[in-house]
Amino acid sequence: MPPETNLQPTAPPAPTGPAEVVLTLEHLTKSFGDNHVLQDFSLDLHRGENVVVLGKSGSGKSVLVKCIIGLLRPDTGRITVLGQDISTLDHEAMDQLRAKLGFLFQSNALYDSMTVRENLLFPLRRQWLAHRRGEEKDLVQQALEDVGLANTIDKMPAELSGGQRKRIALARTLILRPEIILYDEPTTGLDPITAREITSLIREVQLKYRTAAFIISHDMDSVRGSADRVALLADGRCYAQGTYAELAKHADPRVNDFFK
Amino acid sequence: MPSNSTSNQVRLGLFVVVGVGCLLLILYLLGSQQNLFQKSLPVQADFRNVAGLLPGNNVRLGGITVGTVKKISILSDTTVRVEMNLNQEAQPFVRRNAVASIGTDGLVGNTIINITAGPAPAPVVQAGDVLATHEQASLDAMLATLDVSNKNLVGITTGLREVTDKLNDSKAIWQLLSDEQLPADISRSARNAAAASAQLNGAAADVRQLTQGVRRGQGPLGYLLTDEVFAGQLGHAARQLASTSDTLAATLNGLQRQVQAGGGPAQALLTDTTAARQLRQTVGNVAQSTAKLNQSMTALQHNFLLRGYFRRQAKQKARATADSLEQVGRVR
Amino acid sequence: MLLAPTTRVRPARWRALDESHGRSLTLGMSDARRRPVLCSRPLPEAAFPSSPTPLFNSPFLAETGAIAQFAGRFFREGFRPRYEVRELLYQCYVVGYQSLPMVGITGFIMGLVLTLQSRPTMAQFGAEAWIPTMVGLTIIREMGPIITALIFSGKIGSSMGAELGSMRVTEQIDAMEVSGTNPFKYLVVTRVLATTLMLPLLTVLADVIGLYASYVGINTKGVTTLALFTNNILSGLTFADVLPAFFKTFFFGFAVGLIGCYKGYYAEKGTAGVGAAANSAVVVSSLLIFILDLLAVQITGLLGFN
Repeated sequence: MPPETNLQPTAPPAPTGPAEVVLTLEHLTKSFGDNHVLQDFSLDLHRGENVVVLGKSGSGKSVLVKCIIGLLRPDTGRITVLGQDISTLDHEAMDQLRAKLGFLFQSNALYDSMTVRENLLFPLRRQWLAHRRGEEKDLVQQALEDVGLANTIDKMPAELSGGQRKRIALARTLILRPEIILYDEPTTGLDPITAREITSLIREVQLKYRTAAFIISHDMDSVRGSADRVALLADGRCYAQGTYAELAKHADPRVNDFFK
Repeated sequence: MPSNSTSNQVRLGLFVVVGVGCLLLILYLLGSQQNLFQKSLPVQADFRNVAGLLPGNNVRLGGITVGTVKKISILSDTTVRVEMNLNQEAQPFVRRNAVASIGTDGLVGNTIINITAGPAPAPVVQAGDVLATHEQASLDAMLATLDVSNKNLVGITTGLREVTDKLNDSKAIWQLLSDEQLPADISRSARNAAAASAQLNGAAADVRQLTQGVRRGQGPLGYLLTDEVFAGQLGHAARQLASTSDTLAATLNGLQRQVQAGGGPAQALLTDTTAARQLRQTVGNVAQSTAKLNQSMTALQHNFLLRGYFRRQAKQKARATADSLEQVGRVR
Repeated sequence: MLLAPTTRVRPARWRALDESHGRSLTLGMSDARRRPVLCSRPLPEAAFPSSPTPLFNSPFLAETGAIAQFAGRFFREGFRPRYEVRELLYQCYVVGYQSLPMVGITGFIMGLVLTLQSRPTMAQFGAEAWIPTMVGLTIIREMGPIITALIFSGKIGSSMGAELGSMRVTEQIDAMEVSGTNPFKYLVVTRVLATTLMLPLLTVLADVIGLYASYVGINTKGVTTLALFTNNILSGLTFADVLPAFFKTFFFGFAVGLIGCYKGYYAEKGTAGVGAAANSAVVVSSLLIFILDLLAVQITGLLGFN
């Protein structure tokens, strides 16, 4: 097993300078039976930074992101989100923490039985945020405008195209003004043009709300467009990390394979 | 989550109200059926046998349900105490001397308690009173009585049968009944007696005519009356005539006496005619009785009882004549 | 084995996990999903048949245990705040009000057919006057509850299996969890409560509709008045007929909701999983209804209500 490459492993991206760490993953392991998906995975995420975790299908990327959001629990290791170790949190505290985390599902996970408006209102109401009616309405409107789909407010998710659904799902994530957004393969299943639009949307969101983004992807166009930093997940660990340009020039064939 | 949530809630509310309403209605109707919501009057009655009565069974007064059985408990090995609740409204109609009995509702219905009014006036029943009871004849008892009745009936018919057998065996009666000469003889005797009395009558008329002529003293009679010898002869004749007439009268009287007082063939004839009619009637009655033997008299009973009879017959058979042997054979 | 369609997938998945070491991400995910406990409420691993002994290898027992655990979780979470009252009311609307036409039609036909079918036999015994009593007893004691519950399981059990199943496979349940909603409370508790509360009401209404249909049925061949008909029925009924029949429908409703939610909540990945969840929800809950009915008869008999 080649040693972990050390191309500015802990350095934040240059433009913003050293920023606060919002998410720390330390020595995560996770197994399903004999299938050791994560083995000693460590990574940091800084405020306002987009980190893309790159990996082959089945390398454990989705497991990683679900561990962060608390849908799965790692076997060992520590996850610190906004200064809180999530393994120590009870249900209430976890829910409160989740209000600051956004999660964009690979399958969007829009509620089929609800309109777009109700989809957006759902997390707003569930988080016990004491919004006034008018404010709720404004927030929904704002979130939809952010993703450029203000006219779909009364449609059902089934009436929307794949790209639109992805945008609505992003709007539903954005409506709580999260500090960290976790994207699970945001461009998978979309046509190249739509994928590019989503990628630029991810950038826009980052710039507008200064959120940190933890992006799982294997779509290199999207990675190039959205990543401040790229981490390569292989063999259950952070095999290599660096900027897109750095990794693209990396000598290791396992890294190089992705950039061909 | 529905968009028109308010109207949905109204519909849901309607649904729940109607559903709960129906349930409550059913329960209320059932409750009022069982008099749950009325003031009730507890009374008791002690029975020897309640024939499967259950709490909740109806209590009836004059066929109308006036309450329900509340509790059944065993007081002793021969006494079962039934506590029942009567409607307050029925209280004025139930007297202290009312009699409770166990019955059934229809042929195969529930067991119920019937309250029947007592014969004499009595004060109105009060809470906790113990009513008198009357053990209704049970089916077993009725069957037992029926059994005795059937046995008696069999005895009667057996006796009747023996009587008729004896009548049939007696030749004298049948000869008497079938003898045609006897009435003819009797009627001839009567006719002879009538002819004799007619001749006697004519003779008496002649005598009167003669005595009238004599009294006038004219004609040959006058001559005759003067003749002493003739007068003596005439006196002798008259004496003989009187004697004949007396004998005839005695004969007629005897015949009449015999007819009226009985003790001779004529009497026997007349008496036998009546007996024959009575006999026929008796035989008819026997036939009717036998036909009326209830169908419920089971084949088993029938066979069993007749078997005893036949056994007796068989014992007699050894001593019996060929006639009675035939008779038994016909019966069998 | 009726439970087989879903349960036999389990060992296959374990094999698949072993064989595709390091690559079966989705299988791994569905494994996590199978566990009726979300990450924030961990239970000891030993509670699950992860290391099957011969006894626990039986899919039937494993399924039964998992359903029992699911029911236990329902009671644990159902009685703790927060209470999803709005969603409960909405589910009551869907489960109760929207099932009414179906249940009503079934109840009507049930009453009518029962009356018309029993008439010739009763007429043979000259007992036509007993038809209301007989039909009333039959409907209220047995036919009403069981037919309504079966129709209900066909309509509601399958839709719950399919709905929750598709929510599961499209990650909507995870999305709820992430949105700070306990999906078990929001989806399962509300639905199970709704079926438990609504089925008795539906049964009462089906009984009433069925009895009315019986009244109509009697009047097609003979004449009776509504008052006489009602009195006939009431005279044959006692609380011991009505109340056990009413109370058992709570259990029927609970069974339908629980099985529907269980099958949907732990649906396997993919559209086939959704179909299987809907199907087995109906099969298992119908079977369970009959088993519960048998138990109800035994228990009411033991309590001396029969």
